[in-house]
Amino acid sequence: MAVKIPNSIDELPTSSPRFIGHRVKRVEDTGLVTGRTEFIDNVSMTGMLHCAILRSPIAHAKIEKIDVSAALDLPGVVAVVTGEDAAKWSHPAASSPDGWGTYCLPADKVRFVGEPVAAVAATSRYIAEDALELIEIEYEPLDVVSDPVAAMEDGSPLVIEERGSNVMLQRVFNWGDTDAAFAAADHVFSEKFRWNRLGANPIETYGCISEWDPTELGITVRGAFQSPSHMALGRAMTFGLPSNKVRMIAHPHGGSFGGKGGVRGTDVSLLLSRKTGGRPIKWIEDRMEYLAAGGSQAWDRRYEFSIAVTNDGIVTGLKVKLVDDIGANGEGFGAISAAKPLAAFTGPYTIGAAQYDLSLVATNKAPASPYRGMGPPPHNFALEQMMDIAARSLGIDTAEFRRRNFIPKDAFPYIIPSGNEYDSGDYEAVLDKVLALSEYEKLREEQKLAREQGRLVGIGVASAIEPGVFDWNAYAVVGVQGTGVPEGATVSIDILGKVMVRVGFALEGQGQYTLVTQLVADYFGLEMEDVSVTMLDTASAPPAFGPGGSRLGVAITGAVLGACDRIRVKMCKVVAGLMQTEPENIQLMDGVFGIPGVSEAQMPMAQVAGTMLGASHLLPPDVDPRPEATHVWTAAGRTPVDEEGRTKSYLTAAHAVHIVLLEIDPDTGMVEIQKYVLVDDCGTRLNPATVEGQTQGSVAQGIGAALLEEYVYDEDGQLLTSTYMDYLLPTIHDVPALVMGEVVTPSPFSPLGAKGCGEGAIHTTPAAVMCAINDALVPLGTRANEVPAAPNRLWKLIHTARENTSSD
Amino acid sequence: MKPPPFEYEAPTTIQEVVALLQQHDGEAKILAGGQSLMPLLNMRFARPTALIDLGRMTDLDYIREENGAIAIGAMTTKRSVERSDLVKSRQPLLHASTTWIAHPQIRNRGTVGGSMAQADPAAEYPAVAVALDAEFVIAGPDGQRSVAASDFFITYLTTALKENEVLTEIRVPVLPERTGWSIQEVARRHGDFAMVGAVAILGLAGGSCESARVVLFGVGATPQRATSVEQALIGQAASEALFATAAEKAAEGLEDTISDVHASAEYRRHLAQVLTRRALAEAAERA
Repeated sequence: MAVKIPNSIDELPTSSPRFIGHRVKRVEDTGLVTGRTEFIDNVSMTGMLHCAILRSPIAHAKIEKIDVSAALDLPGVVAVVTGEDAAKWSHPAASSPDGWGTYCLPADKVRFVGEPVAAVAATSRYIAEDALELIEIEYEPLDVVSDPVAAMEDGSPLVIEERGSNVMLQRVFNWGDTDAAFAAADHVFSEKFRWNRLGANPIETYGCISEWDPTELGITVRGAFQSPSHMALGRAMTFGLPSNKVRMIAHPHGGSFGGKGGVRGTDVSLLLSRKTGGRPIKWIEDRMEYLAAGGSQAWDRRYEFSIAVTNDGIVTGLKVKLVDDIGANGEGFGAISAAKPLAAFTGPYTIGAAQYDLSLVATNKAPASPYRGMGPPPHNFALEQMMDIAARSLGIDTAEFRRRNFIPKDAFPYIIPSGNEYDSGDYEAVLDKVLALSEYEKLREEQKLAREQGRLVGIGVASAIEPGVFDWNAYAVVGVQGTGVPEGATVSIDILGKVMVRVGFALEGQGQYTLVTQLVADYFGLEMEDVSVTMLDTASAPPAFGPGGSRLGVAITGAVLGACDRIRVKMCKVVAGLMQTEPENIQLMDGVFGIPGVSEAQMPMAQVAGTMLGASHLLPPDVDPRPEATHVWTAAGRTPVDEEGRTKSYLTAAHAVHIVLLEIDPDTGMVEIQKYVLVDDCGTRLNPATVEGQTQGSVAQGIGAALLEEYVYDEDGQLLTSTYMDYLLPTIHDVPALVMGEVVTPSPFSPLGAKGCGEGAIHTTPAAVMCAINDALVPLGTRANEVPAAPNRLWKLIHTARENTSSD
Repeated sequence: MKPPPFEYEAPTTIQEVVALLQQHDGEAKILAGGQSLMPLLNMRFARPTALIDLGRMTDLDYIREENGAIAIGAMTTKRSVERSDLVKSRQPLLHASTTWIAHPQIRNRGTVGGSMAQADPAAEYPAVAVALDAEFVIAGPDGQRSVAASDFFITYLTTALKENEVLTEIRVPVLPERTGWSIQEVARRHGDFAMVGAVAILGLAGGSCESARVVLFGVGATPQRATSVEQALIGQAASEALFATAAEKAAEGLEDTISDVHASAEYRRHLAQVLTRRALAEAAERA
């Protein structure tokens, strides 16, 4: 019998859900606020040594000589590793695209500032860092390539010589007859955009404790892994080990947002463990290491956008040219951020034809990593600016312009030109609600008055899709293999009817353990306290990926409900045996198994579990006596890519419209956000408080992207923003209180109708803030096409525009 | 991010501090809150042989009025200054400037003396000290001496303090009657060091500018007096137009204007004018 996973909350075996769909308190928080949660840096092991990594101060140089003798002589130092050890014991890291990985410690040359070149294991981190100063390296500097456009030219210095070019991937995708759409258009609008490098900044950096087992010839690593199973496969490949000899034990960690890369540090510390005969090696990435060379940097993009528009304001075609600066290698998998926009290339609009001219380029900068949103936020920023440019040119209100182009609610499921399928939505309802909540007409009136006073007040209206529940096939175009991302959970009920759920991912902040608890409690009619969630390592967990790609909430719901259903089926058999009827006649409702309507034929779940584990003589033959089941969920209906890169990839498509009111001080270029209103539709809200939290946080990150965050490199490849003095994260002063509303269009495809919502507002916020800035600049006849819109940039635009006006 | 080895000293008297400074022959650093020094140590940018922690010098933690000035012990935290009723009522510019400094957590630890001796050119306190003609009381092997604010800040992160001297007190005169003040700054985020800041002190008599002091910070190696702005104001009838004209001179005389990832020199020079105009207008309102 097929496992039954409810598509809506109404189908759960409860007459009235008490937890799912309610704002329940998170089960994770007691440990966090009392300091009991065990982060990796709190862990100490017998014989453990501390690792410090020596990093290149030069962006591109040959390594002529490394002398570690003085470092080895320092009391407390146990071992030093260099590129020689990496070449002996490991392989270049896996990468996207394939073949762009390098050794964790290079023997020949360094390719970016911050690249590890040697590492020390010592009895304390202090001594290890002292020892780094005693390692002597002779570098022969090479020409640096820090500009991706220059890097594509013939004769450019090569980042990885063996590849023969810095172009990692170049491809033009055509979906539909784009040229015909442009030829037939009444108007064509084109613009260039620059999205500067920014990235994930979790409150905890990466850390691990690595152990090489010299007898079993295997490795065990404890650490802050976002995806332990994925990390384990990578380590097996890097160290040439059978995958069953690699065990990763994930610890709770302080956020990730894609920034828990840690591949280099893990591999370096594993080399040190091997060199010390298997001693545990702790490596805690410090913040400067993180900023310069961790999973910190993403999306360094130069865009050219063109749209074809009819006189009625209907966008019929989209052309996008992207040069994406991936940095010194492909080990950070930053390339997949250029593939993900395919999952929502044309946004929430009916644009029928699109072209994507994509170049991924290597430069002497830190390798690009994933970041919350995984690539679409810059794409959405540019697309939404184009929508505004067209709307203004045609004299159509920017909100109305979007309405005209929305995919209508009766058109779902809807396949976009780049191949992905949107499950459901009601975009006009979302727009109507946000217009009402923001009192949009009134805002426009206020803006009119402000403009008459010469003030630069702007209103941004932006709309975007958040693809939810990622699938590997979404990244096939940059060389990632596979279809389906399995997520498993094991639900075990003990003899007293209490439940333990075992999952394959660690706490990261998004509240999935709470979600698991809600699901099981409602399914079996229990209290939240009756359900515990624990994490298994990669040696014992069911197949699992963990959080990522707005996926885990939906996926773990599928896994847990699947496991619950399998237990329900078993228990129905047991109860049917006891009641001398057929299993089909037994129903679970509100935690009680029985024959509907027969009051004497009812058995609480705990009693069924107690019978299975403590009264075997009562069990019918051929019944598995364990009140336990594992279910591995994967999204149905996913398709392999076709020759144009099209695929059904992300299972769900959440939608949001944001409205921002802001004012620019023309004398300083400073931006003040005065009002932020948003309405989103992520289907069924499994825990509305968590959805709100995810939204609030992702708005903050979106504001950071629009106004503050930028990794700046100079032409020598030196990072100029190497601390939080200069890499500016938004603080509570920079993030306004939000006015939030919701529309709920359940997904027809997902467990309980929920849509992925973890990435959330970062898909929309940068676009909305930049739309508002450009709206404010309209009276000056200038535009801001570069993100972040830092005050010096805005002032320069305003100053230049004013000078041009006064000289006219 | 671990510091190299250093010795740690925790003296309790000024004499001990001076003796320790001499003993370490210019290689020791004074720890007075640690809000700048600790990161520099951890990044191994600062490599002292010893840290002399003034944390136990409780007799350097005071705020009192003496002879027409507010005397502040060097180890007084910024938070104490911020919360001091005496400072609020008698030297409101000092109070207001304190609220611009970083965040409460940092003001809880950072000290007035630490900030002055660090002499960051984008910090508020040095600029306010120059604007108010504060006096710096310094202890050394030969006893005590005092230095005017205008002579205290030499260049970027460098003061008139000798290697064997320690700052013990800052004396900030209270403002005369009919004198208004203002502090304005532009920073990327609230609490960041200023890209540019301006302090204005304006004395009015019969609607005319009797005295004027304008100091800019974040533009050069030390807080900079905008003397040409001051000169353009003296004896003139206070008005928005006057302030606008005078403020145009704010960038005059600025040497080696800082240029960095957040603000070009051109932008900073422009901000100097904008903030000077705004500061003068606000100071005039308060006069």
